[in-house]
Amino acid sequence: MTDRPLDILIDECVLGLAGDDDIARLEAMAASDPMIAARLDIARQKFAPLDATADDMPLPDDFWVRIDARLDGQSDMDAPVATADRAEVVDLNAVRTQAARWRVSALGGIAAALVMTMVLAWSFMLPQEQAVVAVLLNDRGEAIALVEGMPDNTTRVTLLETQNVPQDKVMQVWTKPEDDGPPVSLGLLDTGRSRTLTIDGLPSPNAQQLYEITSEPEGGSPTNLPTGPILGKGFAKEPLI
Amino acid sequence: MTDHARLIKACAAGDRAALKRLMDAEGGRMLGVATRMLRRSDLAEDAVQDAMVLVWRRAAQYDPDRGSASGWVYTILRNRCLTMLRNEARETPTAPEMIDETLESGVLDTAWDRLDTASDLKRCLEGLDDGTRRAILSSYVLGHSHGEIAGRMKAPLGSVKSWVRRGLSKLRECLS
Repeated sequence: MTDRPLDILIDECVLGLAGDDDIARLEAMAASDPMIAARLDIARQKFAPLDATADDMPLPDDFWVRIDARLDGQSDMDAPVATADRAEVVDLNAVRTQAARWRVSALGGIAAALVMTMVLAWSFMLPQEQAVVAVLLNDRGEAIALVEGMPDNTTRVTLLETQNVPQDKVMQVWTKPEDDGPPVSLGLLDTGRSRTLTIDGLPSPNAQQLYEITSEPEGGSPTNLPTGPILGKGFAKEPLI
Repeated sequence: MTDHARLIKACAAGDRAALKRLMDAEGGRMLGVATRMLRRSDLAEDAVQDAMVLVWRRAAQYDPDRGSASGWVYTILRNRCLTMLRNEARETPTAPEMIDETLESGVLDTAWDRLDTASDLKRCLEGLDDGTRRAILSSYVLGHSHGEIAGRMKAPLGSVKSWVRRGLSKLRECLS
């Protein structure tokens, strides 16, 4: 079932139709990719009004006492939780450990790429100074693109590696202007080459803003949210110019 | 940060009163959600208690940047209920005559009637055919699996899966 589009996987996990392994896979993806986490949250919010249709039932008098008594002890739930709970919600610690390892290997790449960014910025003598710069890394920690966000939301995307995007797919550039908001499309790299994208109506880019390039169907994502595999992603920094 | 997010953060810092406030605010509705899925009040109470204990233990893992606080709490509860449902089904196979379809139908109708008519979810669900809408509602509200839905609709499992997927795609388009 690994070929199932991500949207279906997300919806089926939220509805309760997915198996434990699918839930685990999705939670792991969400833990390492804020864009997927945002999509998962949007899907949960979509069905949440149905929770509000349940009766608001009176709790038994001793309800809190029974919960309170279990907060210290590990014993009462550990047995069932160790088996049932593991399958139910993913152990994020394992995921975090993996993410931490990935981060360490990526940091070297980021540092090297940032130095290169500085060199590029100086040598190009840009007419307009960037508000932020982000180096997008693939899942192997290799820099695949340099993103320069201008204060007026012009975004220059310089590809650093040729991407093997299938014939019927196109690269789409995304950002998350607000931490807790949905990803927003900045545009398509439909020629498969570097280009400058312009978009109206967004706030000026800020440090720590997430940028991402995904592979999407021709014409761009049909849902206006990233659906395809991530080619590279990275957080923005303000250049020290 | 929402109030619930602040309460979860306080739980992570070991503040029991924060968990109690969360229980006072959401416990009744959570019990309602669990009762719809598990049908037995004793199991539903267990599920809500388990969920509260899990919220307490995992509070440090909650990241407000990754989703809403109430969504996080209800996801823990719903997953707990689903696990209990699936375990129960494995341990005690329900005889067909024990399935009270009238009761299930009533629960679904009530959920449907109470769903805010002004909400996008209601409008978009209305755009689906009856069977697909019912299948999606029974998975979310009753915790039914594809197999359970197929059994009740007397339809092949594969067809039910593809109806639901098509329905979910339509919903996604409608809601985007």
